[in-house]
Amino acid sequence: MKWLSFVWLPAALCGVTLFAQEWPTYNGDYSGRRFSPLTKINSTNVNSLTLAWVNRANPAAGQQGAQQGGGGNTSAVIKGTPLVVNGILYYTIPDHVWAVDARTGRDLWHYAWKSKGGWHIGNRGAAISGDALFFETPDCNLVSLNLKDGKERWHKEICDLEQFYYGSVAPVIVKNHVIVGVSGDDLDIPGYLESHDPVTGDLQWRWYSHPEPGTPEAATWPSVEAMLHGGGMTWVPGTFDPDLNLYYFGTGNPQPVIAGRGRLGSNLYTECIIALNPDTGKLAWYFQPSPHDTHDWDAVQTPVLFDGTIGGQSRKLLAQASRNGWFFVLDRTNGKNIVSSEYVKTNWAKGVDAKGQPIPNPAKQPQFDGALVSPNQGGGANWPPPSFDPDTGLFYVNASRAFSVYYLYDDDDKPEGWGGNDRGGYSESLLQAIDYQTGKVRWSHKWPGNGGGRSGLLSTAGKLLFAGDTSNNLVALDPATGTPLWHAGLHTGMTNGPITYELDGIQYLVVGAGDTLYAFAMMGR
Amino acid sequence: MRRLVAQALACGALSGQALFGQAGPYERQKVDPTAADRGKRVYTQYCINCHGALAKGTEQGPDLIRSPLVLRDRLGNEIGPALKKLANHKADLTQAQVVDLSHFLKDQVENTAKNRNAAKPPNVLTGSADAGRAYFNGAGKCSMCHSPTGDLAGIARKYDPINLQQRFLFPRGGRGAKPTEVTVTPKGGPPISGTLDRIDDFSVSLRDAAGAYHSWNRTADLKVDVRDPYQTHNELLDQYTDTDMHNIVTYLETLK
Repeated sequence: MKWLSFVWLPAALCGVTLFAQEWPTYNGDYSGRRFSPLTKINSTNVNSLTLAWVNRANPAAGQQGAQQGGGGNTSAVIKGTPLVVNGILYYTIPDHVWAVDARTGRDLWHYAWKSKGGWHIGNRGAAISGDALFFETPDCNLVSLNLKDGKERWHKEICDLEQFYYGSVAPVIVKNHVIVGVSGDDLDIPGYLESHDPVTGDLQWRWYSHPEPGTPEAATWPSVEAMLHGGGMTWVPGTFDPDLNLYYFGTGNPQPVIAGRGRLGSNLYTECIIALNPDTGKLAWYFQPSPHDTHDWDAVQTPVLFDGTIGGQSRKLLAQASRNGWFFVLDRTNGKNIVSSEYVKTNWAKGVDAKGQPIPNPAKQPQFDGALVSPNQGGGANWPPPSFDPDTGLFYVNASRAFSVYYLYDDDDKPEGWGGNDRGGYSESLLQAIDYQTGKVRWSHKWPGNGGGRSGLLSTAGKLLFAGDTSNNLVALDPATGTPLWHAGLHTGMTNGPITYELDGIQYLVVGAGDTLYAFAMMGR
Repeated sequence: MRRLVAQALACGALSGQALFGQAGPYERQKVDPTAADRGKRVYTQYCINCHGALAKGTEQGPDLIRSPLVLRDRLGNEIGPALKKLANHKADLTQAQVVDLSHFLKDQVENTAKNRNAAKPPNVLTGSADAGRAYFNGAGKCSMCHSPTGDLAGIARKYDPINLQQRFLFPRGGRGAKPTEVTVTPKGGPPISGTLDRIDDFSVSLRDAAGAYHSWNRTADLKVDVRDPYQTHNELLDQYTDTDMHNIVTYLETLK
């Protein structure tokens, strides 16, 4: 089996040599596998892992601006994945970036954006190219900082706060493109992805999450007006195959969110896995995990890239554990479906169509007197990143088996906004290991207790899988069996995806929990 | 970039502005309810025929809730000039009327932006009480644990219908939910039972009947028996049809 090692950026732009010892992008590399080749920490010595340092985000130490409208106060919760380049670790919360010594956790600089507002629900992280760092702000700006001192280079407006957009996504650098997405689902606005010049910040291209009026795909909407206000936010960073020159990402829910009667049809390109040419923003292909979604099941989960064997043939694959509870494996050269299966039991689909896309059961769409649906709005999975381990051939996702009742509230002929919601629920939290060739769950580890938290995942060549459980623990498991091997109790549940890097022969493991970064290592002295 | 153009062209009249306005310092306009009421009268008199009762647009006029111009407006500073400039619009509204109209439209926007919350409780009593009773005593096996004259007597007086529906589906979520019980048996020691305090893969803790706290590491020779009082309810979630759900709540509503 041949596995991709996507640690590639043009040196002319990066100015940074990327080693497996670092963590230079949101997913560590372009593939989205969150698999590290590092082995200093491994299954034979993980019980000797010790706390190396702690760093607590203190936004009050910086300049904090007014935050009117939208989501209110800055949430000092680390939901972004830190980056590690040249021994410096960079992390974010909404409006704030810190650079810290990756060996000691000591603050080097702190940048605070003076905010005008927007939802402060979370920030997924930053991107680095050469001597510059890029991040989004809740009030719709893409900001570039000098890597060495955190001074601002430039900022560009990337969305319209007046239309209730906001910024939360970690940018992704692909060649000379800073690729950014947008967030917001209070009003009926279109989602899009756009690319900026890393030097000037100028807009290079924009791709909307809807077809061009008049094209066959536009017929998946009842009107141009519905389509142009149809949502499809792009709020999780994507992945990139340099050989195919394709950038992959997911799009979010259509608008109105719950009340779908004004947008009958499959509502392309919302709820899609999308492949774009990163140089032009031109669509290469799409696959829609949730046609005509009415449950807020954004299909934004990381599209993970790897090469595998299907039917005895080596294939270039893409896999996603989608929020709707289904797992998909696609041929990433053309988007053709190979596997569609449930990774948690669901009750909303009548099967799959010829393209491998689930067929929604109309009876399980939100109803005025309620429809009992699984998964709930939180989904079988959500934004916390999954992991793929090439050594086991397993795709891991921190999942939920959950029920809630979906109600329609808006009986107008033309609902807008949400028009309904779900309520209540039962859920259990599971770490699922999925065989990509069959889509079957090879092993499942139910987290004990009733907590509902979930974290991102990391697998390593040290035969370890790191995850957050529902009881505030960072847990290392055997990736082949799901057996817990080691844990550390944190002060709250993990809130991001773990990373690992190696400096001076010491491998570090860093996780975010609430406002705190915890670094673990085999310090030895 | 051509999509930007297409999008702008597709939005007519008040919505026909560039996507990116020159937004000033951002603060949403606070809606004055009294002014919004006055603005509604202005809207009803001059605007409603083309833009619809809820300002969502008609074939004659665009949706104003989705209008970037309306969203960008502050106290009529965008709406006023647009009314003067656009054909077939009421150009001679007073400044006060424009401000009132702005409050009315902003109120519509804010109502839309928060309509994920129900304005009134949904009517969930759409099933058959008789069928619900039959399910209760039959396929659902509810009567094995519950009684309409015992623990459920007067339950419909205690909860309104939607909370009654939520409560029977997801009993753990309500106040007064029963705790999870656990029995822990250390190697060679007597079993200790109580209310589960916390459990993960590595430790378990409980409070016994006397209120004393006990905690263990989950070593290989430690036996842990957790008893979820709602396990049967959890399993029923895979069995209920939506018809069952509607019938049961309609039946429970009869237990006044």
